Amino acid sequence: MTTAPKDPGAYGAMARTWLQQNLTGNLRTDRVHETPATLDELKAFEAAMHRAGLAGITWPKAYGGHGLTLREHLEANREIGLAPAPNAVNSIGKELAGPIIQAVGTEEQKLEYLPKILTMENVWCQGFSEPGAGSDLAALRTRADRTSDGWVVNGQKIWTSGASKSQRCLLLARTGVKEDRHKGLVLFAVPMDTPGIDTREIRSIEGHRHFCEVFFNDVVVDEANMLGAPDEGWSAATRVLSIERASNRMYRSWRFESELDHLITACRSDARTYAILQGYARDLAEVRIEIELLKGHVETLVEALLAGEEIGPSGSLPKLYWSEAHQKFARIAAEIVARFPTDAGQPLLDAKARMEAIYLASRAETIYAGTTEIQLDIIAKRILNLKKAA
Amino acid sequence: MFDDLDPKDFEETAREVMEACAATDDLAARASTLAEAGLLGVIAPEAVGGLGLPARFAVPILEAAGAGLLAFPLIEAMLLSEALAHAHPEMASALVSGETIATIAWLGTEADGIVAGAPRGEGAEHLLVFRADGSAVLTETAGLSAQLSDQLDTDFASATLRLAGPLTGLELSPDAVATLKDNAQILRAAFIAGSTASCLKQACDLAQDRVQFGRLLSSYQALRHRLARDLLALETMRMGVTRALSNPGEAAPMARRAAWLGAARMGPACAESAIQVFGGMGFTWEVPLHRHLRQMRTLAIQGQAAASVSALAETLISGSSNQWYEEVPDVV
Ligand SMILES: Cc1cc2nc3c(=O)[nH]c(=O)nc-3n(C[C@H](O)[C@H](O)[C@H](O)COP(=O)(O)OP(=O)(O)OC[C@H]3O[C@@H](n4cnc5c(N)ncnc54)[C@H](O)[C@@H]3O)c2cc1C
Repeated sequence: MTTAPKDPGAYGAMARTWLQQNLTGNLRTDRVHETPATLDELKAFEAAMHRAGLAGITWPKAYGGHGLTLREHLEANREIGLAPAPNAVNSIGKELAGPIIQAVGTEEQKLEYLPKILTMENVWCQGFSEPGAGSDLAALRTRADRTSDGWVVNGQKIWTSGASKSQRCLLLARTGVKEDRHKGLVLFAVPMDTPGIDTREIRSIEGHRHFCEVFFNDVVVDEANMLGAPDEGWSAATRVLSIERASNRMYRSWRFESELDHLITACRSDARTYAILQGYARDLAEVRIEIELLKGHVETLVEALLAGEEIGPSGSLPKLYWSEAHQKFARIAAEIVARFPTDAGQPLLDAKARMEAIYLASRAETIYAGTTEIQLDIIAKRILNLKKAA
Repeated sequence: MFDDLDPKDFEETAREVMEACAATDDLAARASTLAEAGLLGVIAPEAVGGLGLPARFAVPILEAAGAGLLAFPLIEAMLLSEALAHAHPEMASALVSGETIATIAWLGTEADGIVAGAPRGEGAEHLLVFRADGSAVLTETAGLSAQLSDQLDTDFASATLRLAGPLTGLELSPDAVATLKDNAQILRAAFIAGSTASCLKQACDLAQDRVQFGRLLSSYQALRHRLARDLLALETMRMGVTRALSNPGEAAPMARRAAWLGAARMGPACAESAIQVFGGMGFTWEVPLHRHLRQMRTLAIQGQAAASVSALAETLISGSSNQWYEEVPDVV
């Protein structure tokens, strides 16, 4: 395990060297012509990242983490971003469930759940959204009733990313009636192999089968799997969510920069595509400025968190900014690669496939983790404090 | 260092000083008001009467100046007193103390025989003129004929000056000029952030006061979302400035450029947005939103933002230094 090096940049340099040696072959997202990495290969890579000190950086050592600060986390994430590395399979585990468990879990729960997230033994999914409760999450209806055998859960979740490949679900359910809204909500860590759970994959616009419908039919959940007391779990979760919204996938701006670097480099491999690129140079410069300003959001946030400041609603600012900046890049990139000549060489075909995938995937970015409209509502109401009535 | 001081400490003073400056028409009076409060020399070395503070201390002062539509070459005073401090300390002292006023002709060079974009060029005693070789000369304005550079520029009243042959005066080396121009990016961005904050505040106040269809304007989601986007723009600018000043190592040149170009693009857009929120009132001379729009556009022009984006575009497509894509052949 790695310990904190003293001089700034050293942690990043360590991460860079590790990635150079270990991010190879079909793990690279810029080598689309290779056989795609399997789920097991991706999980093995992610577990290795953790062992090398590139994940679980800020988690306490007692729970399998590296016990360092957000500063090292940021340094490592800059390098992860600049590399054509795959997105984490277990980001829900690492960036949502893990922090919530650290905030509200019992000591037993922390010891039980946290290390397995980092070793990739347990991949987590997030069971919050329902067919009737998307933006209006407080309208959720999945019920949890306390019985002598433990909790019994009934209901349906939807858009649950990676549910069919997960071992645990961070489930949000209701103990009271729907009219209670935010009251009487309870959080569970549900094993996905519990009888009564039925998972059906939904095909997304990319053609993948990643997000799912999850049905709960008299699913018995042990008391020990409840996270926080009823109600308390949810309020703590929303606090964690606001931090996570702002700080998850911290590598993003550097990843966007890396995607742009890839596009430019590929276009320079052929005089014809370079001519196309020239026509978009100014648009790409605008995008490059936005990517750099996004780093300002991220780095300022890290400083604020390190100084112990509350994040609260201001997490909506980076979410809104990155999602729209990335969509803008993706739209331009898709337009450029669509004009590549039919006899384009391998570097161009790789870039084309990657940019097309990014284009489609980016459409979800203004929908999940709170839609654009919801972020704007939060900013207007909770940051600008705009009145609705005199 | 400077642990006992916080840039925020300057906010209140700066706001009051800007109000006092707005109450007088006299440029020299503004200079002494600014100087007395220590605002002209905040980043100038102590040896020339400055406070010798890091650049982040200039940010709240510039924000207040932007919000208060300060009709004074403040950015120029800060830049010149810093640039001249070592080679020409007497002049730097005179600028810090407000005894003399200098400005910078941001557009054109000596060789053109005519230079432009000099804020308050008609009232300043000294004028920095750039030379084609990258150096610059600080000349006296006496005897030069001045006229307004741009109809759209009311408060800065930037001047176009016709030069009478080769200039003499204090010289700045090409290195000093490059540093001055680099620093100007951040000072302008902070100024624009202040101007933007004022536009947003005015728009929010109006929306929470005016009723249409029996409801406050601020109850309508279309306007709430517009204002939320403007706040995002403002905070993005501010964080860009903070990051550029936080010593981000090798990322520094790009961080500065992005802070400046981002502000130059987002600032005027927020003023336009505020005008829209005000409706017909927004189109009147009396409501100062157009002055903010003019002020921010003027800064964008003086910092040559549009050309700078083009230059960035050129550099960007000239190749990437990302080592992950090294193996891709480069044929152009
Ligand atoms: C790829 C992907 C992965 C996801 N993964 C997960 C997951 O793992 N777990 C999970 O729990 N959820 C997940 N989600 C669900 C996601 O959180 C929801 O899709 C999102 O919250 C929006 O809810 P909805 O789809 O019901 O849309 P709706 O809430 O019905 O919104 C539809 C449209 O109406 C707008 N709208 C809604 N309310 C308002 C309002 N008050 N004012 C103005 N406009 C409004 C929205 O902005 C949107 O444009 C995922 C979604 C996607 C796309």
